[in-house]
Amino acid sequence: LSSLPLQILLYVNGIYYVFYFLATLAMIIYKSQVFSYPDDFLAPDLAVLFLMAILEVPRLYLGFKGNLTEAEAPLGLSLGLTVGSVVLCVYLLLWQTHVLWADVLLNALLLVAYALESGLKVTAIAAFVS
Amino acid sequence: PADTRDAVQARARSAPAPVTDVAKLCVCDLLVAQCDVNCCCDPDCSADDFSLFTTCSVPVVTGDSHLCSQKAAVYSLDVEANPPERIFNLIDQVNPSIFCIHATNYKQALYLKSPEIPTPENFDRLLDEYGGATFSAEPDSWNLDTDAQSPPDANETYRYEYGVPVQTEDAFLRLPSPVVSSWCSDENPAGFLVNQATKCIRSVSVEKCDSIQALSMLFYINSSILAVPKSSQMVNITVQSVVVQSLNGMRTLLSSSDVLRLPMALGELCLNAVVGVNYHITYTDKGEIIEAAAAFVLGAISKEALSIEQSFEISFTQENAQPVPLSGNPGYVVGLPVRAGFRPQGYPFPAEFLSSKHSQLTILQSTSTQDCLAAQGARAPVLFGYNMISGCELRITAAMKCQTLAQTLLDVLKGQSFPEYVASFGNSQAQDVLDWVPITQLHISEQIISNTLQSSCQIPVSLGIEVKWTKYGSLVNPQARIVNVTATITSTTLKQLPSGREKIIPVTSSVVFTDISSPAEPGYKAWPSINIKLPFDFFYPFV
Repeated sequence: LSSLPLQILLYVNGIYYVFYFLATLAMIIYKSQVFSYPDDFLAPDLAVLFLMAILEVPRLYLGFKGNLTEAEAPLGLSLGLTVGSVVLCVYLLLWQTHVLWADVLLNALLLVAYALESGLKVTAIAAFVS
Repeated sequence: PADTRDAVQARARSAPAPVTDVAKLCVCDLLVAQCDVNCCCDPDCSADDFSLFTTCSVPVVTGDSHLCSQKAAVYSLDVEANPPERIFNLIDQVNPSIFCIHATNYKQALYLKSPEIPTPENFDRLLDEYGGATFSAEPDSWNLDTDAQSPPDANETYRYEYGVPVQTEDAFLRLPSPVVSSWCSDENPAGFLVNQATKCIRSVSVEKCDSIQALSMLFYINSSILAVPKSSQMVNITVQSVVVQSLNGMRTLLSSSDVLRLPMALGELCLNAVVGVNYHITYTDKGEIIEAAAAFVLGAISKEALSIEQSFEISFTQENAQPVPLSGNPGYVVGLPVRAGFRPQGYPFPAEFLSSKHSQLTILQSTSTQDCLAAQGARAPVLFGYNMISGCELRITAAMKCQTLAQTLLDVLKGQSFPEYVASFGNSQAQDVLDWVPITQLHISEQIISNTLQSSCQIPVSLGIEVKWTKYGSLVNPQARIVNVTATITSTTLKQLPSGREKIIPVTSSVVFTDISSPAEPGYKAWPSINIKLPFDFFYPFV
């Protein structure tokens, strides 16, 4: 009864997130060289990015575990962590110091992935509970 | 009222707001309220002005091109229309790159920073940050502590260098000189090894003559000179000699020079006022001053005089050296006298030449009387590089004896002591025999073919000194060096005059400087040679 789409999505999300993290970090470095990026604006952006990376690991792990073991508690925790990731993603999309077009694309894609994941997790939890 | 003043001050404190609307930005609009030529964005231009333009100097005005989409003002001239008109378009320019800025939350990143307007509150801070010759973006990282100078090392030795002001206890050794006008200014420092002579006018009054400091001897000798800069070794200025000048200009040298004579008012005169000071400083070749002496000329000021002229001079001589003024170092300097000397008699290989301040190459100086025999012996020194010609007239009567006349004329032309050698360089020392060039003396006699068989005598009528000099040394800084000096005496036959008749013949002397320097030869370095050799055992095992 494990949700296969959720499993696929979580797997793809993991790979995509690695690419997303590296790309966003590279773009922040590029922005700091080309544009004026004072230190007190650079620090929050980097902090948000790393926080998101730290959140992503347990989120994905709990999602995998919950889905495979058909337990709703890990899935619920994963859903909670997803909310945090969404907030941080929205920050990087809207309130970053310099938002490049590539930033918009990456973050929008990540948000779409989070939204789909959240939907699938909710249905999976509903399926497990009943 | 106070509020309007505050408002004005507040307005003055902030710089005008930057213009960010591209439709209103115009870089070529330089003239205020006037149309700039070929400036299509100038708001002062009318349609008639646009019809006279040939091209648009500023075709497009955009903001930061990194933005994904931005407004751009495009100006162009439509030359097809009659009359030509300007076309203004406001378009959206799109940056196709994936790394274009979609949005920015840090607005200042796209604009240059507005500078801080100085106010009385932040002026000191701004002066600290930006008042120096350089400033960096992070002023805290630079540690320019200009107040605390590094303490001088004990091993560091100071010495005077050419041109450095001679330091005294309180400030500098002053040589009053005229600045801008002829009035004396006491702020002129004497430079080390810079021989100076100045004359200036000082305003005086007989009533206050003992209170004017600059008229008293003490003013010039009271502060002692530092032997080396920034040291505590002092050299006192001694009084070398005192000459008293009377009102009619007659000077008397005082026998005792250790008595200090201060100015004093005596009736209608002020006596012992300093009219001239001559400093003589002795230095070592290490740049230290070891002796300082001052020679004074004291004069008297009469009641009517409102000002007196003071003259000051300073000269530097090296210790253990004769104070012979150099005419160049090492090459001759144009305008300085040519140094000459004699070889002492009786020495087969002379070790030294006799050359003093007064042995110079001189020529006859033309006087106003123009009579050779009445010339008082006035002679002018030959200055290097200056061609000179002078002369006088000789009135010959029948009663003159030829031999004495010839001798007299020779004295007139050559002077009392015509030198035998001329210094090759401006700084030739008397000990260096090879640095001196002998004067070649030539005699040319103009033979006038006369029908009479009377023994005629020759009298010299012209002396021509030709100095050949060359450029010596490096191409960048050539030094003048005298190579050859030839003194040519031209004699003419003196015909016996019938008695009662007079004849006037001109006598001339001239100095000519000829540059015989050969063109510089370039010297090239040898081409580098490539040294390639195969190793010893390259062809092992075949060899």
